[in-house]
Amino acid sequence: MNLLKTALVALSALIGSAGLLAKGELNLFGWSEYIPQEVLDGFTAETGIKVNFETYASNEELLSKLVAGGSAYDLVQPSDYTAEVMIRRKMLAPLDLAKLTNLGNIDPALMKLPHDPAGKYTVPYMTGTVGIVINTEKVKTPVRGYKDFFAPQHKDRLVVLNDNRELVTWALYSLGHSANDISKETLAKARPVVAEWVKLVKVFDSDSPKTALLNGDVDLGIVWSGEAAILWNEDRKFQYVLPAEGAHQFIDVLAIPAGAKNQAEAHALINYILRPEVSKLISAKFPYTNPNLAARKLLSPDELANPASYPKEGKLETFRDIGRLAADIDQLVTDLKSAQ
Amino acid sequence: MNAPDAQSAQPATTGHDRRQPGWRAWALLAPMVAWLVLFVVVPTVILLVYSFCERDEVGGVIFSFTLDNYTRVFDPVYLRIFVRSVGYAGLTTIICVIIGYPMAYYIARAPEARRNQLLLLVMVPFWTSFLIRTYAWITILKQEGLLNGLLQALQLTSSPLSLMYTPTAVVIGLVYAYLPFMILPIYSSAEKLDHSLVEAAYDLGAGPLRAFASVIIPLTMPGIAAGTLLVFVPAIGMFAITDLMGGAKVPMIGNVIQNQFMQARDWPFGAALGVVFMSMFAVTYLLLQRRGARIHE
Repeated sequence: MNLLKTALVALSALIGSAGLLAKGELNLFGWSEYIPQEVLDGFTAETGIKVNFETYASNEELLSKLVAGGSAYDLVQPSDYTAEVMIRRKMLAPLDLAKLTNLGNIDPALMKLPHDPAGKYTVPYMTGTVGIVINTEKVKTPVRGYKDFFAPQHKDRLVVLNDNRELVTWALYSLGHSANDISKETLAKARPVVAEWVKLVKVFDSDSPKTALLNGDVDLGIVWSGEAAILWNEDRKFQYVLPAEGAHQFIDVLAIPAGAKNQAEAHALINYILRPEVSKLISAKFPYTNPNLAARKLLSPDELANPASYPKEGKLETFRDIGRLAADIDQLVTDLKSAQ
Repeated sequence: MNAPDAQSAQPATTGHDRRQPGWRAWALLAPMVAWLVLFVVVPTVILLVYSFCERDEVGGVIFSFTLDNYTRVFDPVYLRIFVRSVGYAGLTTIICVIIGYPMAYYIARAPEARRNQLLLLVMVPFWTSFLIRTYAWITILKQEGLLNGLLQALQLTSSPLSLMYTPTAVVIGLVYAYLPFMILPIYSSAEKLDHSLVEAAYDLGAGPLRAFASVIIPLTMPGIAAGTLLVFVPAIGMFAITDLMGGAKVPMIGNVIQNQFMQARDWPFGAALGVVFMSMFAVTYLLLQRRGARIHE
């Protein structure tokens, strides 16, 4: 009797999974700590499409894996400047905009930007900034920009992103250059600045820079705005400031790799994420800046008041692809870190 | 001149004949050989080929022939990183010997039932993921962590010590991670140690220090050597601990190589670093082997 029952259960499970397969599946390759599992579960419950989810921790890792022959992915989540190089190298498939009926929810100001001028390849997922977090219980002097942040009295009290391009960009800003003004000459000028800064930093961490702040190991940080927003929710003593000299704004997008096998399913998931009530769930879990204006109307006043998620006007710039100069930046920072 | 040659050649040939493996031996070895070819030989060849190539704009590998990657490896920056990595790994190995030797010796001398319990305790940490154990150290060492709490509660320190994200934290993490790899080989040679030899040393008038230095240490030397190899080699290439506990501030050679494959997307340069790194170990190992062989003669 028991055996029969087990066999029946196994059989029905088999039929069930076969049924799911018939409705298709989707291989999603996205950032870690960025897509809530309940969103994917909701999508599967509604459409029957099974989502296989893998994560990465940097744009570089995404590119590495795609270049190394990962054509198995149907949906990826690059940042603007990475999408730019992927479009140029024909690594992305054009989107069928007719299938994306909810696309009108997205802030028009975030569409057709330089990384995807025709708006044919990418759909904004979340945007954010890179700014300064201050533990106001420990730091009493005002910190307005990079120069205040990297002041000698803050030695060993700083956490910054472990991202070579970010670090060099901040140095360029403090010298009055713009974020994409990167050449051998400007890098040579940035070098002594970065050399001084590297000596002051206690922790380099891109994955979870909030940890060192929460643990009390450091008092100030330059972090992703989403991390800063979580800190602010945790304790109001963590204040977010957009650096006066200028700040990096990133637009993370959804895009379909060229040659993806399940493009219809990928379109279905993009359109599902574009729904206001779904997008709202993402904001609740990962409080970056939501580009979905219809979803923003559903957010609580508390969420909208979070200064890290929705900062007041600042001087913002997106990154552009810089090609081979990325290697020069990497060498410069490695050099300076090890020179200590 | 001829005679001794012939004489020495004779036993060697017969010895060789006797050890010539038959097909059965090869059949037994086949899985191991296949494994080695697939996961050691082939990847090493790929690494070698890549190390002479160039990267393209997005980080793909362009098949060409250049020595640039190797010239860059010998840039003072990378040599300095290499020297520092050797320093950290060397310090870790020395501390592991100092802590591990007495432990291993004590376990080897303990009664059998007790011995197994103690060995189990050495191995218990392996039941948990390495990363989780490293995060546990962060909880202990952080500014508002367990250790600082304890020190302040006992009023041993007035203000919290900064332990996390320092070279000290890196060495603590490395010693913790690799200590078992030092204890186990020393234990196995200490266990085989014939205690009557130690007693003989005493009978012949050696004091405890002399007996330890000229009898016990030489007899457990194979264990110390194996432990040193097992600790030093992985410690030098470790990148997770320097990132998590050292705050990614001072790169070690493992971080630099990992960085080439991820952030910098320069696989050929990463491969060149790997090849040089591997050759250095192979050469050091061969030199040590030869020296060891000479001492035995």
